[in-house]
Amino acid sequence: MGELQENLKVALVGNPNSGKSSLFNILTGLRQSVSNFPGVTVDKKVGSAILSDKSKVTLIDLPGLYSLHPNSRDEKLVVNILTDQKGEYFPDLVIYVADATNLERHLLLATQIVDLKIPMIFVLNMIDILEEKNQKIEPEYLSKYLDVPVIQISGRKSKNIDTLKSLIKDYQTKGSADFLSSKQLYAIPKTLEGLTFDIAQNLNVKNPYLSKIFSHHFDWLNHFSEDEKEKINSIATKHEFDNIKNQLDETMSRYNEFGPIARKVVTRETNAPSTITDKIDSIITHRILGPILFFAIMLFVFQAIYSWSEAPMDWIEQFFAFSGNAVRNIMPEGWYTDLIVDGIIAGLGGILIFIPQITILFLLISILEETGYMSRAVFMFDGLMQKFGLNGRSIVSLVSSGACAIPAIMATRTISSWKERLNTILVSPLISCSARIPVYAVLIAFVVPKDQTFGIFNLQGLAFMGLYLLGIAGALAAALVFKYALKVENDNSYLMIELPQYKPPIWKNAILNVKEKVTTFIVEAGKVILVISILLWFLASYGPSSAMKQAELSAIEHIETNNLTEIEGENYLAGKKIEASFAGHLGKFIEPAIKPLGFDWKIGIALITSFAAREVFVGTMATIYSVGSADDEATVSARMAAEINPQTGEKVYNPATSLSLLIFYVFAMQCMSTLAVVRRETNSWKWPAIQFFFMGAMAYFGSLITYQLLS
Amino acid sequence: MEGKSVFDLEVGEIGYVKTFNNLDCACKLLTLGILPKSKVKVVRKSPFGDAIYLQLDGHKIAIRNSEGKAILIED
Ligand SMILES: Nc1nc2c(ncn2[C@@H]2O[C@H](COP(=O)(O)OP(=O)(O)OP(=O)(O)O)[C@@H](O)[C@H]2O)c(=O)[nH]1
Ligand SMILES: [Mg+2]
Repeated sequence: MGELQENLKVALVGNPNSGKSSLFNILTGLRQSVSNFPGVTVDKKVGSAILSDKSKVTLIDLPGLYSLHPNSRDEKLVVNILTDQKGEYFPDLVIYVADATNLERHLLLATQIVDLKIPMIFVLNMIDILEEKNQKIEPEYLSKYLDVPVIQISGRKSKNIDTLKSLIKDYQTKGSADFLSSKQLYAIPKTLEGLTFDIAQNLNVKNPYLSKIFSHHFDWLNHFSEDEKEKINSIATKHEFDNIKNQLDETMSRYNEFGPIARKVVTRETNAPSTITDKIDSIITHRILGPILFFAIMLFVFQAIYSWSEAPMDWIEQFFAFSGNAVRNIMPEGWYTDLIVDGIIAGLGGILIFIPQITILFLLISILEETGYMSRAVFMFDGLMQKFGLNGRSIVSLVSSGACAIPAIMATRTISSWKERLNTILVSPLISCSARIPVYAVLIAFVVPKDQTFGIFNLQGLAFMGLYLLGIAGALAAALVFKYALKVENDNSYLMIELPQYKPPIWKNAILNVKEKVTTFIVEAGKVILVISILLWFLASYGPSSAMKQAELSAIEHIETNNLTEIEGENYLAGKKIEASFAGHLGKFIEPAIKPLGFDWKIGIALITSFAAREVFVGTMATIYSVGSADDEATVSARMAAEINPQTGEKVYNPATSLSLLIFYVFAMQCMSTLAVVRRETNSWKWPAIQFFFMGAMAYFGSLITYQLLS
Repeated sequence: MEGKSVFDLEVGEIGYVKTFNNLDCACKLLTLGILPKSKVKVVRKSPFGDAIYLQLDGHKIAIRNSEGKAILIED
C-alpha cells in the first residue's frame, strides 16, 4: 500500500486483566476505568491516541476474553467485532496485550487472532514484575512462531511506550505487510474441509478459520441476517458439525503447539515461594474471617460516608446560604431574582452538598475493585448467591450498586447465565445508590437525633446502615422470588473465575476514576435538577389566576384578623399561594392515594418529580419550601423541620411520616436512566416495566405498613 | 466409578489433570489454563464449602464443586 493511512483503527485485545485499559489510558491520556477485577471493561471504548509525530489513530479498548469461543456477553461483543470485516469497529491493527508473567494461557487467543488474518503487534505487558524477579525473557521465539512484531512493555511503569507508538507509526506509513502473519497456526482438520468449503462458497468467506468460527457461533453473531444464519445452520447440519467437540480439539491442538514455545520465551520459576497474595488470601478468603472481614469492610464504608463528610458538607451548605442571600441583596427585586434564588440556587445547593459523601463512596468502592478484592468476594459468596438465583459475580453488581445502578447493571455482562444475569439486573437497583444519600440524610435527621452515639457508633450512621440493609434484604427477597418465577431454557451457569494477584491501587488512576464518576454524577444529576427546579419553581409560583387571587385575599383577611407579625404573615401568605398554584393542584390530586402512607400534597409533588431521578427530592423540597417561605437563609432541613400540618397542628415530618417516606425511597424505582439501561441490556421494554412495577409495589406497601404501624 | 476428581482432593493436596468428564465444562476450563497434565493444588474451600480455590502453575482460579467434579485427576 505505502500511502499514509488516515483514521487507522487500532484495537486492544487480550485476556481479562492483562492491562489493556491501563495501556489505553497511557496512549490516549483518557481515563478508562482500570481495575484489578477480571471483566472490568464490559463495553468497547473509543479514544484517540497521539503518536510521536502528533498524528492520531483511533484506539478501541475492548473487554477481555480468553478465547474466540466465548461464554459471556462482554466477550461475545469482542468476537462480534473481530469477525465482522465490514463493521464500524473492525480494526486495521490489533495490539494484543498479554500478561508476560503468565504467558502460556495468554497465547491461545493470540494464535486465534493470527489465524483470523488481522495484523498484530504482540505486547508482552507487566515486564516490570519479571524484571523484579530477574527472569529472563526471550521474545524472539515468539515473534518467529507468530510471525508478528513482539515488544516488551510495562503499563504500570510506562516503559517502552515509545517503541509501541513508533510501531503503530510504521503501520501507518508502510502498511500492514510486517504485521500480517504468513502463518496458519491451526490447520483445519480434514474432516472439516467440506464444511469450511461450503461456507466459503455460500457466504463468500475466504479465510477457512473464519468459516470455522462462523459454524460455531453464527447463532449469536449479530452481523448475520436470519437468511445467512439459516444457510450456515443447514450447512453445519449437513456436515454433522459437532460444536463442542471441535472447540475442544482446536483448543487442545493449539496448546500443544505453543506450550513449548511459551516455556522458551519466559522460563518458569520452579517451586515459586508463597507470595504476598497467598498470605493475604489466607486471611481474606479464610472460611470464618473472610465473611466477617467482608461485612466489617462494608460497615466501615458506611461509617466513613457519614463521619468523614461532615465538615465539607457544612462548608458547602454555608456557601449556598451565603450566595442566595448575596444575590438577593445585589439584584433588584423581581420574578427573575426569585427564579435564581428560589429555583436555581436552592435546587442546586440541595444536591451539591452531597458531593463529599458521594466522592467517599465512589473512592472506597473503586479501591476495593482496584486491589483485586472483588474476585475474592465472588469466590466466597458464589454458593450463597446461587441460593438466591444469582451468581457469585452478582456480588460485584450488588456492591457497585451502592454507588450507582447503571455501572452495576453493565457489570452483569460478565455473567454467562442469562437467568442469573437477568435476576441480577432486576434486583440491583434495590441496593441503595448514592442518589438516595441526599434523601436519607435529610429524612434521617427527623427520625434519629443528631450527635447521639451507641457505643463507638454514630446513631445516624447506624440508621443509615439500617436503610442499606433493608435495601439488601429487599434485593435478596426479590431475587429469591425471581429465581422461581423466571423461566429460562438451556442456561449455563458457571463460576470459573480468575483470582488475580493483589496489586496496590495506582492512586493516580483511582483518583481520576473517582473524579470522572463524580463529575458525571453532578453533570447528569445537575442537568435534570436544574430543569426540574426551574419548571417546579414556575409551577409553584404561578397558578390558575382566580385561585391565586382568592388565596391571596383570604390569606390577607386571615393575617389581619389574627394580628400576625410581618414575618409570620409573609410566610402564611406564601404558603397559601403555593397551595393554590399549579404544583399545589398536582400534589392535591394525588394526595388521596398517598395519604394512607402519611404523605401530604407537598411530599406528593416531590414524589412526582422524583420519578425522573430520586436525587431531585431534596431540590424539589428546597424549591417548594423556599417559594413557600419568605426566609432565604434557612436550610431545607430547617424548613422541613418547622413545617406544621394545618389540620392537626402537629409537625409534618414526625417520625412516622419520615420513616414511611424513607422506606418508600429505599424500594421505589425512581431513575429514568436506570430504566433506559435495563431496556438496552435486556433488549425489551418488558423487563424495565416489570422492574418499575414490582419495585413500586414494594415501596407502596412497605410505606403503608410502616406508617400504619407507627401512627 | 470414574475415578478421582479435583473435588475429591483434600485442602493442600496436589493432583495432575487426566481428563474431563463434561465436554461443556472442559471447553471453558481449557481456556482458563486447566489442561491435561496440569498440576493443580487445592488451596482452600470457600466459607460455605461450595467452591474451590485452586493454585495452577502460574495463576489462581476459583471453581464450583460441580466444576471440580468434571476434572478427573491421575491416581
Ligand atoms: N505490575 C503491573 N501491573 C499492571 C501493568 N499494567 C496493568 N497493571 C495492573 O493490572 C490490573 C488490570 O489492568 P486493566 O488495565 O484494568 O486490565 P484490562 O486488560 O483492561 O482488564 P479487563 O478490562 O478486565 O479485560 C490493574 O490492577 C493494573 O494496575 C503493568 O505493566 N505492570
Ligand atoms: Mg479493561
